[in-house]
Amino acid sequence: MNPPTAALVLVLLAGTLFVLPLLPAIGELRLQRDAKPLDIIQQHAGEIKHFAHGFREYIEPLLPALEQCVQAGTNASGKLPGGEKYLLLGRPVDPDFEFPTEKQCCPVIVAAGTDTFFPSGLTFAKEVYAAGQLTGGRRNTYRAVFGEKGLLLERGCKVLRWAHAAEKLEAQGDCELYGRISSDQEIQLSAGCFFQRLHAPRIIAGERIPSPVVDFHSQAQAPKVTAARRLFEQDVDIRPGDVIAGDVVTRGKLRIRAGARIFGSVKSNGATVLEEGVWVMGSVISAGPMRIGRRCRIGGLLIAEHEMAIDADSQCGTPDQPTTVSAPTITLAPGATIFGTLWAREKGHVVERL
Amino acid sequence: MIYLLFGIVALISCYTARHYWFTLNRLFGFQRHPYIDIDTADWPPVTVLVAAHNEERVIADILAALMEVSYPAEKLVVVPVNDRSTDGTRAIIDRFAEQHPGRIRPFHRESGKPGKPAALKDAMQIVKTEVVLIFDADYIPGQGLIKQLVAPFFDPEVGGVMGRVVPLNVGVNLLTRLLDLERAGGYQVDQQARMNLRLVPQHGGTVAGVRVSALREVGGWNDNSLTEDTDLTYRLLLAGWKTVYQNRSECYEEVPETWPVRVRQIMRWAKGHNQALVTYGFRILLGKNYATLRERIDGFLLLGVYIMAPLTLIGWLLALAVFYQGIAPLHGAVALLAFTAYATTGNFAAFFEIAAAARLDHTRQRIRLLPFLVLGFSVSIFSVSSSVVSQVAAALKGTQLQWHKTERFRTSS
Repeated sequence: MNPPTAALVLVLLAGTLFVLPLLPAIGELRLQRDAKPLDIIQQHAGEIKHFAHGFREYIEPLLPALEQCVQAGTNASGKLPGGEKYLLLGRPVDPDFEFPTEKQCCPVIVAAGTDTFFPSGLTFAKEVYAAGQLTGGRRNTYRAVFGEKGLLLERGCKVLRWAHAAEKLEAQGDCELYGRISSDQEIQLSAGCFFQRLHAPRIIAGERIPSPVVDFHSQAQAPKVTAARRLFEQDVDIRPGDVIAGDVVTRGKLRIRAGARIFGSVKSNGATVLEEGVWVMGSVISAGPMRIGRRCRIGGLLIAEHEMAIDADSQCGTPDQPTTVSAPTITLAPGATIFGTLWAREKGHVVERL
Repeated sequence: MIYLLFGIVALISCYTARHYWFTLNRLFGFQRHPYIDIDTADWPPVTVLVAAHNEERVIADILAALMEVSYPAEKLVVVPVNDRSTDGTRAIIDRFAEQHPGRIRPFHRESGKPGKPAALKDAMQIVKTEVVLIFDADYIPGQGLIKQLVAPFFDPEVGGVMGRVVPLNVGVNLLTRLLDLERAGGYQVDQQARMNLRLVPQHGGTVAGVRVSALREVGGWNDNSLTEDTDLTYRLLLAGWKTVYQNRSECYEEVPETWPVRVRQIMRWAKGHNQALVTYGFRILLGKNYATLRERIDGFLLLGVYIMAPLTLIGWLLALAVFYQGIAPLHGAVALLAFTAYATTGNFAAFFEIAAAARLDHTRQRIRLLPFLVLGFSVSIFSVSSSVVSQVAAALKGTQLQWHKTERFRTSS
């Protein structure tokens, strides 16, 4: 090959190598297959009852027929305009009632018009609607449940997507509650329950322990805040019974000894421990693990970036000032009470004792 | 000359390693979103400042969007900061204020120092809340955005918050598509990685918030800065306040649709950033302050991002010079320069960060445009270098830097 030809080949080769990666780029520029703005959430705010409300609207056309079934004391079945099959229960389920099943799974939307009980060991692949009190048998699995009144999930039940009750929602031991679980009144979880995202005016682990709710805003003994924020670059240990006015921020660990009162918020960049009977009027935020001792009272948010444990008879938020408790993993001891939202992004569970 | 070249190559390699670290962290590391689950709280009163200078094309959209947000209405006040507008901005704002009495309280600024920082500084006189959010007029907030941006302020360590900016006018031309990729890399990877690694997420001055007591503690808005957001990030950091980034607090914006507008925008950013480098560089790295060691190092490197453009150009010139001087062998250093240069400059986002961002955003086709980024890179490197030269010249002459507003392209409100 003579030098001019070699040079030409070299230029062509280099040009080809340069143009090659541009071909898909030119193609995309011309065809505009992905020229839309990123799809971001504009229209709703991640409301926990979003799916429950959506289902309630979806099933609305069925309710007159369900009412007729209740009046007549009969059951009925059919298809919604979208082709979805349904079963209307106009009377309480008998112990020997057989739900339609395919491969041990009830494949239709079930709507119960009265207070009723579902037998044990069933799987509901579609949503369940209950106009009255619903008691779900042991080890049942629900895709989603909507209760106009109360819901009682007996031992070992599973909810896979969401559940909502207008009245009390109670889960007995070893229930697994995935997704969004909400009530307009109260959620009560027994020991052994697994949960992720809960919301109710009152969420109780185990049995309710009668104990007073603190009204932080009417604390006559609240001291005057003199410093807006105390910033420490080392570990902080607040002595028993100390009263601190204002926020406390530490770059290290934080330990608040028994009976101390903080009239402000606290933030720790390490492990956070609140011993028995501590009150924090504001929020408790931890970049590390967090442990809340017995009989603590937290007025604001409780946020931990790692695991969180809340011991017996502690309260987060108040009925008048609901709050959010959030961490990747949360462990609750019996008697722990949260007013508002409890959100364990990975795993939350109720144990007999910490 | 050789040692200078080695120095530049070492510096550029340092930035490249930093960007790789960020990218790998986003793909495989622990992701921090500590405040995103906060949905029930005693929400504090909030003022939303909307900076507006001749924004008749876009102002109605943001005011309408802010009236639809899910934040408790009695705790939210929107203050459109009409900064000496000469178009129909004032009339549009007043019309909205009439339609929403008490919820929109206009702040009309007739005179005074030009520029957004000066306008914000003046508007702070009427702010009575502890939390202030700031939006530019071309942004369109979603319903849940205000709560998401306010949530981090329950943490008493947080002084500032920054959300993610997402271009709306993506499909207009090649420039808007490249800016869309650049923004994705800058926010989805670079900012979130700095949040994950507890480094220095940057306050962006829009889709952003600030705690008023922290702002007052550090001296308020700096109206001498061309990038009041960068300036604020560093003053908060020096005083022990954290700025946090909320990647899932997304908001649409309008990006420049013409190259001259883009060039002016990036030149202003570069000048403002370099102002901050001169003012805070030494103090953040070696001064007595509350920043941690990793914040000091990252904060300094972040300040140096725009100075890397002229340094890269100088590196290339030096590489050529040593070649023609017959100094050999420098193949390793020159190859390293060639390999790393492209991974350093740009609007904080190297090409592999952008590729990772596209993957994290689950967008499949737009990644094909990646080779065209060399075009944006070339424009940026020369624009930024030119701005550095003009900035040095202005400093020598004692000329004040001027604020240039970014032109809008939306056709109607």
